[in-house]
Amino acid sequence: MSSESSKKRKPKVIRSDGAPSEGKRNRSETEQEGKYYSEEAEVDLRDPGRDYELYKYTCQELQRLMAEIQDLKSRGGKDAAVEIEERRIRSCVHFMTLKKLNRLAHIRLKKGRDQTHEAKQKVDAYHLQLQNLLYEVMHLQKEITKCLEFKSKHEEIDLVSLEEFYKEAPPDISKAEVTMGDPHQQTLARLDWELEQRKRLAEKYRESLSNKEKILKEIEVKKEYLSSLQPRLNSIMQASLPVQEYLFMPFDQAHKQYETARHLPPPLYVLFVQATAYGQACDKTLSVAIEGSVDEAKALFKPPEDSQDDESDSDAEEEQTTKRRRPTLGVQLDDKRKEMLKRHPLSVMLDLKCKDDSVLHLTFYYLMNLNIMTVKAKVTTATELITPISAGDLLSPDSVLSCLYPGDHGKKTPNPANQYQFDKVGILTLRDYVLDLGHPYLWVQKLGGLHFPKEQPQHTVIADHSLSASHMETTMKLLKTRVQSRLALHKQFASLEHGIVPVTSDCQYLFPAKVVSRLVKWVTIAHEDYMELHFTKDIVETGLAGDTNLYYMALVERGTAKLQAAVVLNPGYSSIPPIFQLCLNWKGEKTNNNDDNIRAMESEVNVCYKELCGPRPSHQLLTNQLQRLCVLLDVYLETESHDDSVEGPKEFPQEKMCLRLFRGPSRMKPFKYNHPQGFFSHR
Amino acid sequence: MERAVLHAVPLGQMEVFQALQRLHMTIFSQSVSPCGKFLAAGNNYGQIAIFSLSAALSSEAKEESKKPMVTFQAHDGPVYSMVSTDRHLLSAGDGEVKAWLWAEILKKGCKELWRRQPPYRTSLEVPEINALLLVPKENSLILAGGDCQLHSMDLETGTFMRALRGHTDYIHCLALRERSPEVLSGGEDGAVRLWDLRTAKEVQTIEVYKHEECSRPHNGRWIGCLATDSDWMVCGGGPALTLWHLRSSTPTTVFPMRAPQKHVTFYQDLILSAGQGRCVNQWQLSGELKAQVPGSSPGLLSLSLNQQPAAPECKVLTAAGNSCRVDVFTNLGYRAFSLSF
Repeated sequence: MSSESSKKRKPKVIRSDGAPSEGKRNRSETEQEGKYYSEEAEVDLRDPGRDYELYKYTCQELQRLMAEIQDLKSRGGKDAAVEIEERRIRSCVHFMTLKKLNRLAHIRLKKGRDQTHEAKQKVDAYHLQLQNLLYEVMHLQKEITKCLEFKSKHEEIDLVSLEEFYKEAPPDISKAEVTMGDPHQQTLARLDWELEQRKRLAEKYRESLSNKEKILKEIEVKKEYLSSLQPRLNSIMQASLPVQEYLFMPFDQAHKQYETARHLPPPLYVLFVQATAYGQACDKTLSVAIEGSVDEAKALFKPPEDSQDDESDSDAEEEQTTKRRRPTLGVQLDDKRKEMLKRHPLSVMLDLKCKDDSVLHLTFYYLMNLNIMTVKAKVTTATELITPISAGDLLSPDSVLSCLYPGDHGKKTPNPANQYQFDKVGILTLRDYVLDLGHPYLWVQKLGGLHFPKEQPQHTVIADHSLSASHMETTMKLLKTRVQSRLALHKQFASLEHGIVPVTSDCQYLFPAKVVSRLVKWVTIAHEDYMELHFTKDIVETGLAGDTNLYYMALVERGTAKLQAAVVLNPGYSSIPPIFQLCLNWKGEKTNNNDDNIRAMESEVNVCYKELCGPRPSHQLLTNQLQRLCVLLDVYLETESHDDSVEGPKEFPQEKMCLRLFRGPSRMKPFKYNHPQGFFSHR
Repeated sequence: MERAVLHAVPLGQMEVFQALQRLHMTIFSQSVSPCGKFLAAGNNYGQIAIFSLSAALSSEAKEESKKPMVTFQAHDGPVYSMVSTDRHLLSAGDGEVKAWLWAEILKKGCKELWRRQPPYRTSLEVPEINALLLVPKENSLILAGGDCQLHSMDLETGTFMRALRGHTDYIHCLALRERSPEVLSGGEDGAVRLWDLRTAKEVQTIEVYKHEECSRPHNGRWIGCLATDSDWMVCGGGPALTLWHLRSSTPTTVFPMRAPQKHVTFYQDLILSAGQGRCVNQWQLSGELKAQVPGSSPGLLSLSLNQQPAAPECKVLTAAGNSCRVDVFTNLGYRAFSLSF
C-alpha cells in the first residue's frame, strides 16, 4: 500500500524523468534524452546488497536516534530541545534515506518484474509456437492417415473380370500394351470401359422405359374401350327384351333364374338344373321356377355367433321377465321339433302342362336338418271341376301322387338317419307332418339326386346329378299319366254316379249293342269296410288291398238280380288294373266261393283286362270293365239253365247269341264276346 | 297262400298281374308220372306244372319243394284232361291232344312229342277235350269232349280209328270197364252210355236224371263224374252221387251229398268224391259218409291217387280245383300240405 501510494506520488512530485503520467508523457519524451535524473539508471549502478546493508544501518540509526530522543524527552531538560532537534534532523535524513531506499527497492522490484514478465512472455510465445507446431503435426498426421485410408469409389464398382475386359473392350479403351504393365492404367482403362458400358445400358434403359410407357398407354386405351363396351351391351340386352318376348326365348328371365338358383341348397339345385334341362330338351310343357325369399337364403349363411348372441340375449331377457313366461318343456320341445323340420326358404316349382290344359303344380321343398326333399302337389284344370262325391280323393293334394312308383307312399322319411334325429325331439313319424311339409316320396329324393341306400347307410348323402337325370324322364311321364288318368277318372265318376257307364265310341266294339243290366250305384267305401266284406277275403289275403288304394262299391241290377262289385283302385291306375270282387244275389247268394261262373266273371274283368284297356293311354279301363260286368251279368242270367221243376217262364229270356251254353268240366258260361260277329263263346 | 299276407306288398304292374292270375287259376287235371315221383298238373291258362312229390314229401322239404320244378305253356286253352302212359304224358285241351316225354319233361324248353287233332264235324268252334282214357289192351287212347263224340286213337300210329256217336250234348267224363272191354261216358245230356269198343256201338244207356231217387232238377241233369268197378258204377253231377248196378241199370245207393260232384273214384273199399265245396268225401259202399276232409280250394275238380308201385313212399292222394293249389293227403284223414303253382 505504501508502495502504491509512493508510486502514485512519485510521478506527481518528481516527474521529470522516468515514467510521467500519461498526460505528460508525450510532451516530456523529447526532453528525456538529455537532461533528466533517471533513478532507473541509478538502480542499475548500485548494488542491492549494499542497499540492504544501508537499509539495515539506517534503521538502526533511526532506532538509536529515537531511543536518544526518547531519553532526552524523558529526562527533560532545556538543552534537550536542541539535541532533540538535531536528532530529529538526522532522523529526517535517515527517513529520506529510507525513502530513497524504498524507492530503489521498488524500482528494482519493478525491473525485476519487468524482466520476468518479458522472459515469461517470450517463453509463452515459444510455448505457443510449439503448441501450434505440434497441432499442425498432429493435423498433418491425421491427414496422412486419412489419405492412406482413402478408398476410391472405383474400388466399389464390380468391374468385369480381367479376361472379359480384354475380350470385350474395344482396343482404344483397353490399350492392352499400356495397361498390361501398368496396374494404374489398367484400372483406369477398366473404369473407362465400365463407364462406356454403363452409358450404353443407360441408353437402352431409357429406350425401354419409353417403350413401356407407350405400351401402357395402349393398354389404357384398350381398357377404356372395353369398359365402354359393357354399358353398350347392357343397353343392347335391354333393347332385345321385347324381341325375346316376341320370339318366346326369355333369356333374360332364364338368366335371372340362374342367379337365384345359386342360392338353392344342393338337392334343389340339382332338381332345378335337371328339370330345366329336361324341359328344354324334351318337354316344352314343363316350366320351372324358383320361389321364396333369396334374402332369407342368404341369411342362412350368416356366421352363427351373431344368431347365438341374439338368442342368448333374448333368453336373458326372457328370464328377466316373469317366471311364468319361461317356455315350458313342451313348448321347448315343440320349438326343437319345428327347428328340426325347418324348410329352406327357397323352393322349386314345376308346372307340368297336360294336353287338355290342366296343369300339375309341384312345389319342391328341402328340409335342411333332415336332408330330404318333399313335394306338394296341386292340380288345376282349364275349367272348373265339379267334384262328384266319390271322386273326392282322386285329385286331393294328399293322395294324387301316392304310389307313383309301386310302394312309394310318401308317409315315411326315406333317410334312415332321420330316425335318430326324430328320437331326440320326440317325433314318431313324419306322417303327422306331411300335410304341412309335403310328401317325401322316393322319386322326389331321386330327382334331387339324393340316394339313401338301405344296405350301407352313408354318413353324408350328397346330391348327384346323374341320379336325377336318369330318373327325370320316367318320373315326368309318370306324373303326366297320373294326372291325366285321375282327371279322366274324375270325369268318369261323375257319369258313373248318375248310373251311366261312359263308354267311348272307340271302345264300343268290345261290347254288344244291347246291354240290359244297369249300373245303379257307384260309391266310395272305406278301406276298413272293404276288408270286412265277406267276398273280398281272397284279395285281402293276397296283399293286394293295402291302405294306399281307393275302394269303391258298384251295384249292377237287372230284374231281381243284384250284383255287388267291390272295386280296388290302385293309385297306379291305369297301368295297374282295378280289381273286382263280385257277389250276386239272385236265387241265393253266389260268390266265387260257391259258383264257378262268378269266378269266371271276375277272371274276365281282372285277368283279361288288357283287352279292355282301349286306346292308349288306356283311361277307359275302369269304364270298360264296368260295362263288361254288365254284359257278363246279362249272359249269366240269360244262360242260366231252366229249372224244369219250377213253374213259369225264365225270368231272363236268352237274347244273346251263343254257340254253346256250357263247356268244360266246370260248365262255364260263354262270357267271351266276339266282335264283329256278335256272338258269345268260351275262352 | 300258406300264410295270410295282410300288409300291402309294394306291387308293380307285373306282380299285380301275376297275383291276379294265381287268384283266378283253376287246376283241371292231374297225372302222376310212371315212376310215381312226379305229379303233373294242368290249369286253365294252358300251363302244365311238374311237381316233385318225392322232394315235397321228404323230410328236408322246404317251401321251394312245394313249387313246381318246371312250368311250361302246353296248350292255348285250358288243359282239361291228362293221362300218363308208361313213358308219355298226354294232355288235352282245346281240341287237340299232345304228348310229352316224361323223361324230357323236366328240361327247360321241352317240346311236345306229337300232337293230334281228332276229326271234328263243326268248324265254327273248336270243341274241347274233356276226358282222356287209356285202353291198355288196344294201346289206344279215347278222347271225348265238346263235339259229343268219343274218338279212339291208336297210340302207335296216331290214327283215329273210330268215332262213337250217341251223346246229344258234350261229354264230361269217361271210364273204362276192364273186363269187357267197354267204355262208359257221361255227358251234359244227363245220360251215361256204355260203348263196346270192338263193335263201336252203344250197348247201354242210363239216363240218370230220369230216376227220381237221384235226379235233382235244380242242379241240372249233367253227369260230371264217372267211375266204374266193372259191375258197379258210381256217377254224379247235377243229379246226386249214385251207385249203380250196371247189369240191371238200377241205382242201389244214393249218397246224400248236396253239392254236385265233379270227380269220383273207387279206392279200396271206399268211394272218394270231390266237387263243389272244399272237402274230399269218403263214402262207404253202403252210402254212409265215412269222412270229409277239407282241402284248401273252395271247389275241387280232380282227384289223383298215386298208386305207382315204383314209388310207395309217394303214395298220396292229391286234390286240385278252383285255386292254384294242389292239396296233398298222405293219410286220408287230413290234408298234409299243398303244392302251389
